[in-house]
Amino acid sequence: MLNTLLVAAAERLLNTALELDPSFATSLEKLQHQVLAVEIRDWQQTFALTYTGKSFMLFNNYQEQADCHISASIATLSELKDPSVLTRLIRQEALDLHGNLNVAQAYSQSFSNLDIDWPEQLSRYLGDAGAQQLMQHCQSVKSRSQQLSKVLKSTATELLQDELKVTIHPLEMAQFKAHTRELKQRTAQLEQRINQLLAR
Amino acid sequence: MKESQQKTTDFGYKTVAREEKASMVADVFHSVAAKYDIMNDLMSFGIHRLWKRQAIACSGVRKGHRVLDLAGGTGDLTAKFSQLVGDTGQVILGDINDSMLKVGRDKLRDLGLVSNIEYVQMNAEALPFPDNSIDVITIAFGLRNVTDKDAALRSMYRILKPGGRLLILEFSKTDSEALSKIYDFYSFNLLPTMGKLVANDSESYRYLAESIRMHPDQETLKSMMEDAGFEQTSYQNMTGGIVALHRGFKY
Ligand SMILES: C[S@@+](CC[C@H](N)C(=O)[O-])C[C@H]1O[C@@H](n2cnc3c(N)ncnc32)[C@H](O)[C@@H]1O
Repeated sequence: MLNTLLVAAAERLLNTALELDPSFATSLEKLQHQVLAVEIRDWQQTFALTYTGKSFMLFNNYQEQADCHISASIATLSELKDPSVLTRLIRQEALDLHGNLNVAQAYSQSFSNLDIDWPEQLSRYLGDAGAQQLMQHCQSVKSRSQQLSKVLKSTATELLQDELKVTIHPLEMAQFKAHTRELKQRTAQLEQRINQLLAR
Repeated sequence: MKESQQKTTDFGYKTVAREEKASMVADVFHSVAAKYDIMNDLMSFGIHRLWKRQAIACSGVRKGHRVLDLAGGTGDLTAKFSQLVGDTGQVILGDINDSMLKVGRDKLRDLGLVSNIEYVQMNAEALPFPDNSIDVITIAFGLRNVTDKDAALRSMYRILKPGGRLLILEFSKTDSEALSKIYDFYSFNLLPTMGKLVANDSESYRYLAESIRMHPDQETLKSMMEDAGFEQTSYQNMTGGIVALHRGFKY
């Protein structure tokens, strides 16, 4: 129950952020109804985050199929600061990733782009000095989450480069195929245009 | 003897004719409708929100689903489901009591939730839907008010799609003696007094406390769900068993 209470508080915080930074909602638009689940092994708890188009919902005790599912210990999750370790972690089974990697990337991207005038917002409650101190703390959290987003971004390429010791999820494969089809189409279009130009 | 063959049934601690229970329950909720939400927060110290949160996390409701929030009253669950199912889904707020439905409709409209919610007056014992037509049914703090619970469970089973699930959130039995003592004192002394002060209606809140005690315990409800056809039934206790969340699937 305590967990549920904390998660409810965190959800409220996220939704406040949504109100304070209008561009945050815009950056989340593509993610509507996508569920990101993070399983923290040491706690045997799975948390799930989804954006409904109106607000965030955050759950603990989540047992459903998510669009992207990450499972690791807290220690492992914090190791992610260094992008190069990710494939190693997966190979050592310290970290599991199922589903659509883009979902995780996109969520973390939106969070790291979060741009709220915190000192302004906070000084209303804390006074200027308090706001200043809290800000310094938040800056360090932010830079950490930016790092995480970088890590996730480079993961896609690494997964492919790493001799495919990591299995590709069917969803990723489907997405890859879709991208390839699109690329093929574009190439064809380009070819046509070049031919037209040459014909002139 | 099967519930449905008996001539009388419980209304809190009283015994009343089966035909009378529904209208007596209706009176209770007509009289509490306007103050229902505020009393919920007061009576449970806001904890009902956490119980409901857990029900939503276990519901598996996703985009495009058709969800029935049965005995949905003032629509707390409907509000969340409406967001989760999105434009392509639908939530039906079903309740036997039009006063409660009206309070729910006004509240949800004020929250800006309209496009995918339907409000339908219905009796849980005979649900007005075709077979296999609903993805998820929830009934939160509603089942104990239903006269023929077996009929209600069968009706829910019938309208669920294969693969669909039912969630029942309801007061239940705590196995901690200390907790149970505090809880008894709270429900039979403080609760009716609070009901009197806030809603000027101690009788309804006495019914609430009594009906909770008359409701089947965890194992009984689980086997009732199985009798109705549900599979993979399970429950989790919350707040020491004061409330339990039951879940069952139709395959
Ligand atoms: C305690 S309220 C719960 C409301 C809401 N689900 C919540 O958790 O806040 C119980 C509701 O059950 C409804 N109810 C009672 N008997 C019913 C029946 N046979 N069929 C459908 N709804 C019923 C009442 O009208 C009332 O709105």
